[in-house]
Amino acid sequence: MHGKLAFRNVKRSAKDYLVYFLTMTFVTALMFAFDTVIFSEDLQGRVGAVNLMQMLIILATVFIVIIIAWLINYMVRFMLQKRSREFGTYLLLGMRKKTIAHLYMRENAVLGTGAFLCGIVLGILLQQILLSILYSMLKEQYHLQVFLDKRCIAMTASCYAGCYILALLRCSRKFRKMNIRELMYAGQQNEEIKESHEEWKKWLLPLSVLFLCAFGIWLFFGKQWNSGTIICYLVGLVLVVYLFFMGLSSWIVCYVRRKGRAVYRGENLFLLRQFSSKVKTMQFTMGTLTALFTIAFLGCTAAVMFNDYQNQILEDKFPFDVQVFSEKKDEDFAKELEIIGQEAEIREACPYHIFHNGENQVNVWMYTHLQAFGEMFRNADGTPALDEIRGSSGEGNWYGTYDTYMGLSVYNHLRGMLGYATVSLNEGEYLIHIKERIYRKTGDFSKELSIQGREGELRCAGYRTEAFSLDGHNGADYVIVVPDSETDEMEVFYSELAVDIEGEAPEDLGALLDGLAELSEEEMLDMAGHAEIQDGRTGSGTDTMVVYYSKYLVRDNLIPEVKYMLSSLIFPLFYIGLVFLCVALTVLSVQQLSDSAKYKFRYGVLQKIGMKKREITGVVGKQLVMYFLCPALFAAVISGIVALYISVQFVDATGVKTSAFLYFGVTCGLFFGIYAIYFTATYIGFVRNVEE
Amino acid sequence: MKDYIRICDVEKYYGNGANVTKAVDRVSFNVNQGEFVGVMGASGSGKTTLLNLLSTIDSVTAGHIYYGSTDITELREEKLADFRKENLGFVFQEYNLLDTLTIEENIMLAMTLQKKSRQEIREECEKMLALLGIAEVRDQFPYQVSGGQKQRCACARALVNHPQLLLADEPTGALDSRSSQTLLETFTEMNRELSATIFMVTHDAFSASYCSRILFLKDGRIFHELVRGDKDRREFLGQILDVLSLTGGELSDAR
Repeated sequence: MHGKLAFRNVKRSAKDYLVYFLTMTFVTALMFAFDTVIFSEDLQGRVGAVNLMQMLIILATVFIVIIIAWLINYMVRFMLQKRSREFGTYLLLGMRKKTIAHLYMRENAVLGTGAFLCGIVLGILLQQILLSILYSMLKEQYHLQVFLDKRCIAMTASCYAGCYILALLRCSRKFRKMNIRELMYAGQQNEEIKESHEEWKKWLLPLSVLFLCAFGIWLFFGKQWNSGTIICYLVGLVLVVYLFFMGLSSWIVCYVRRKGRAVYRGENLFLLRQFSSKVKTMQFTMGTLTALFTIAFLGCTAAVMFNDYQNQILEDKFPFDVQVFSEKKDEDFAKELEIIGQEAEIREACPYHIFHNGENQVNVWMYTHLQAFGEMFRNADGTPALDEIRGSSGEGNWYGTYDTYMGLSVYNHLRGMLGYATVSLNEGEYLIHIKERIYRKTGDFSKELSIQGREGELRCAGYRTEAFSLDGHNGADYVIVVPDSETDEMEVFYSELAVDIEGEAPEDLGALLDGLAELSEEEMLDMAGHAEIQDGRTGSGTDTMVVYYSKYLVRDNLIPEVKYMLSSLIFPLFYIGLVFLCVALTVLSVQQLSDSAKYKFRYGVLQKIGMKKREITGVVGKQLVMYFLCPALFAAVISGIVALYISVQFVDATGVKTSAFLYFGVTCGLFFGIYAIYFTATYIGFVRNVEE
Repeated sequence: MKDYIRICDVEKYYGNGANVTKAVDRVSFNVNQGEFVGVMGASGSGKTTLLNLLSTIDSVTAGHIYYGSTDITELREEKLADFRKENLGFVFQEYNLLDTLTIEENIMLAMTLQKKSRQEIREECEKMLALLGIAEVRDQFPYQVSGGQKQRCACARALVNHPQLLLADEPTGALDSRSSQTLLETFTEMNRELSATIFMVTHDAFSASYCSRILFLKDGRIFHELVRGDKDRREFLGQILDVLSLTGGELSDAR
């Protein structure tokens, strides 16, 4: 009998909680699909970066389980509150508390199991999509196959069940404490609108706005970044997220009380009061939703950023098919060429030298002028802090001990290999080949240099900014190109080999070359199996995202590896963003839908005092928009400030040619797409409930 | 003005086939301007249905209801909403106040929906609050005030737009005797001072004694009518009770 009752109850409440059910299904599906990556042995055997991805997915899962536990707990308590009158009636009829608690748990179990099973089915589909994306990144063929690992299902199920059990245990405690009177009147408790100290509470709104402005200004223009300030701002931010809503509702209440002009227009009075009372009773939940939205926004922005980087930069990062570094001045690269020759067909191989003239004025200029270094290498009077610079030069730091030079003929040859037009230099001239992102910051700085040639000071003939392997191979960040006659007078700094091969490089070419370095296992582990340049005199430049300061660069091996590594960040970030967004939207949606009984009465009153059906539908729309948009827009403002700041830094540090606004724009597009789905579903359900 | 509202052969049936219930069965009567008409009847006698038909909340199965020259049974939903807004005021047993709005705002809302000017809204609102003696609770929420005050707020809301007809469905049903008396006196005052036409449904003889005319309804039909005329209220109450006792004391037993 009780089973039947539980089933009937689930069926009855299905309409109100459909959004919750679908979200749980979707989250289970996501969880299952991502758990596949953790347990897939096929993937594990392939790339070292898989471990990173697994770790990050496990980390993301931890956050997601916490948030899902919150959602389930919230929903279970919420449903209990909504149905307390019904449970009170059961008690009146003589049912035992324990029986009712069991009945309620059984209902939740039916709902949960249903969502879980549907989720697994959807998860198998998502799993196929996810795996085919991953395999295509690894440039491997993926054959569709259902991967139903026991551990994978067990992990998904235990995460899921854990959340439920926690929530239900808390609930059964609540059941034990409640009496019939409380249960019967629990539904009416939050009807009472308590207004106190609204006059001073309303100032929280302008204060929150002021804080956000201050936060933005500090973020973009602040120079004092000690940990105390950071903690202060973070604590302030958390407080603002919660206090904003208290301020907002009080501000509206005061406005209505003051009888502001808008109050006298149409249904505004009703809408403002409705909204302020809802925000007032829900301010903590609203704050939490804003926090979830903010995390979702930031997660997605970061994912979009890395994705853009992956698409734009990687090809430029490794312009040559194969590139080899050697600290020896007379290196003939025979062993390397032999291996490459065995593995692939060499179209062209170009061994060459990088030179130095014993000076480091360009490096010093970079250290003292690039924004990335700030005041780090400047004395108080603005002169270069030479001791600091000496300490930071070489040993794989930003710049080497000396400035790097290249002869024009080699330069033109390499340009030819990359398909760039050749350049010409007159005697007594030089040009600087520099990373584009750095040139955008520095502009022409040749007037501040004094580069001496054989016959006096050389003249700058311009800059080139094409991709040119400037992460330690052809210099760090820049290389100065001089006529061949000048390099004759210079010393060889180190040797390089650039190889153009026919077709794609085989999968293990990089590993074979790395084998030549004869490194210890420990050293190999440091660079994920790559042989690091251990010259001690050269630098790797100021790139921050991906820097392979390694002796052997094989483009076709490295790009998939980096892509996979970046995906280790992109996927979990999207995963977190998506789940947090769905959870927050579900809470918003379910809140509104289950309140529709109360609203039905209110709209009934409006209809009785002369509102048309069409007008009421309009008011419903406006009310939902206000309620849905408020936390989302607030979160968009907070995350917009942070995202814009991070994007500006990201564009500066990586040199991607994207407007910093675009990342947040794309995220907003994604966000409001999903948002629109939930909103439409809620709106349709709400209107249906009100009109019924 | 004579024949202010005319109800002609109105019928309302629920259900279909063999299960037809005649809630209102060929009822005809007129309401004159400034009249305070009461409808009495046992539960299920069709009095609320009749009120719903008059208030355009429900549609007739047959017959016509004329407000002046307008036949509301011919109007479409959109027009009906306009008609309701411009011509009718409602007072219900359960007050039907919006719990998110204060007493004053509940009254204001009825006017803002009619797009009245700010000045007019303020003035009318003040007037109504004072008239109904609820000015001191104007900033309270419905849950903070007594049932009587809530019902007076509902009255103020109903009358603030000067409707052609005020419809009251058991307005004293949820009130104690003192609040009931105050409310009914308010009704009488409204009727006298604002010339408000009131149509009240009640099953309480005491409430009905405030009316100027009473229609007795049974099984969807009018079976008796009492006019107060120049009689004082006590006398009229006696007459009502006589009718009730003649029909067996309880209206439900009047067969």
